[in-house]
Amino acid sequence: MAHQAHSYHMVDPSPWPILGATAALLTTSGLIMWFHFNTSYLLALGLLSMLLVMLQWWRDIVRESTFQGHHTPTVQKGLRYGMILFITSEAFFFLGFFWAFFHSSLAPTPELGGQWPPTGINPLNPLEVPLLNTAILLASGVTVTWAHHSITESNRKQAIQALALTILLGFYFTALQATEYYEAPFSIADGVYGSTFFVATGFHGLHVIIGSSFLSVCLLRLIKFHFTSNHHFGFEAAAWYWHFVDVIWLFLYMTIYWWGS
Amino acid sequence: MQGLKPIVSTESPALIFGTTTKLASDLPATDSFLGKNKVPDLQKLFQKADGLPVHLKRGVPDKLLYRTTMALTIGGTIYCLIALYMASQPRNQK
Repeated sequence: MAHQAHSYHMVDPSPWPILGATAALLTTSGLIMWFHFNTSYLLALGLLSMLLVMLQWWRDIVRESTFQGHHTPTVQKGLRYGMILFITSEAFFFLGFFWAFFHSSLAPTPELGGQWPPTGINPLNPLEVPLLNTAILLASGVTVTWAHHSITESNRKQAIQALALTILLGFYFTALQATEYYEAPFSIADGVYGSTFFVATGFHGLHVIIGSSFLSVCLLRLIKFHFTSNHHFGFEAAAWYWHFVDVIWLFLYMTIYWWGS
Repeated sequence: MQGLKPIVSTESPALIFGTTTKLASDLPATDSFLGKNKVPDLQKLFQKADGLPVHLKRGVPDKLLYRTTMALTIGGTIYCLIALYMASQPRNQK
C-alpha cells in the first residue's frame, strides 16, 4: 500500500459539502416561504438539515485529526490561516453595521428631531446591565486564557474548571442580554435607533451563542482527552473566536451604548 | 528476474499515535477525573483498514445518521422546488 510523499491531508470523499449547500438552499427558500406565505415547514427542514450536516462534518474532522492523525503541522498551519481569514470576514460583517450606526447618528435628520438619541427614545443606561456585561466578557477572556495555559501545562483539572467557567460566563451574558431585550423601552421598529441597536447587538448575541457552543464542544473534547499539551488547535480556534466576540462587544459598548446615549 | 523489491513498503502502515508530546492523560493512575482515556481505542477503531470513508467508519450509527440527513435534504429539495413553482404562479385577482 503506497504512502503519501507529502504532509497534506487528502480527505476521503464526503457528502457534507453538497448536503450543506442543499441545506442552505432549503433554509433560504424556507425564509421566503415564511415571509410571504406564513408557512415554516421548509425553514424548519432547512435549519434541521443544516444542523445535521454541521454535526457530522465537524465530527468527521475530529475523527480525521484525533483518531486518524491526519493533522500534521502543515495541515494545522492551513487551518490557522483559515480561521484567521474567517474571523477577519466576520469583522468586516460587523463593520457594516457600525457604518450604518454612525451614518445615522453622526448627522441625525430632522425626522429624528435633529438629535441622537432621537426624540422619544430613552436609551439604556450604559452604567447598569451593559457595564456588568462588559465585565463578564472581559472576565471570560481571562478564564479562557487560564484554560489555555492549563492545557499547555498538562493540568487537566484546572483546564476543565477554567473552560467550564468561561462557558458559564458566556451563558450569564446571554441571559442578562435577553432580559435587557425584554425590558427595553424601545423595540427594533422604533426608527433607525431601534434598527441599528437591535441588529448590531442581536448579531453580536448570536455570535456569543455560537462561541459558547464552540467552547462547549471543546470542553467535551477536553474531558475526553482529545487535546495534547502542544496540539489543541480546536481549542485555540475557539479561544480566538471568543476574544473576537469580546472585542466586538467592547466596540458596541463604547459606540452604541455609551457614546450613543 | 524474480520480482523487484517494491520501492514503497507493502506492509500495513503502523498506527499513528500522538505520543511524542506530554498527554493530558499523563496523570497518576488514581486520578480519573471525569472518566478514563478512550482515545487509543478510538484511534485503533478509526484506523482499521476496512476501506470505509471516515463518515461511515463507525458502521450502523453513522449509516443511519447519513441516510436520515440525505432523506431530509432530498425530500426537502423536492418540497422546495414544488413550493417555489407554486409561488411563481400568478394569483388570480377578483
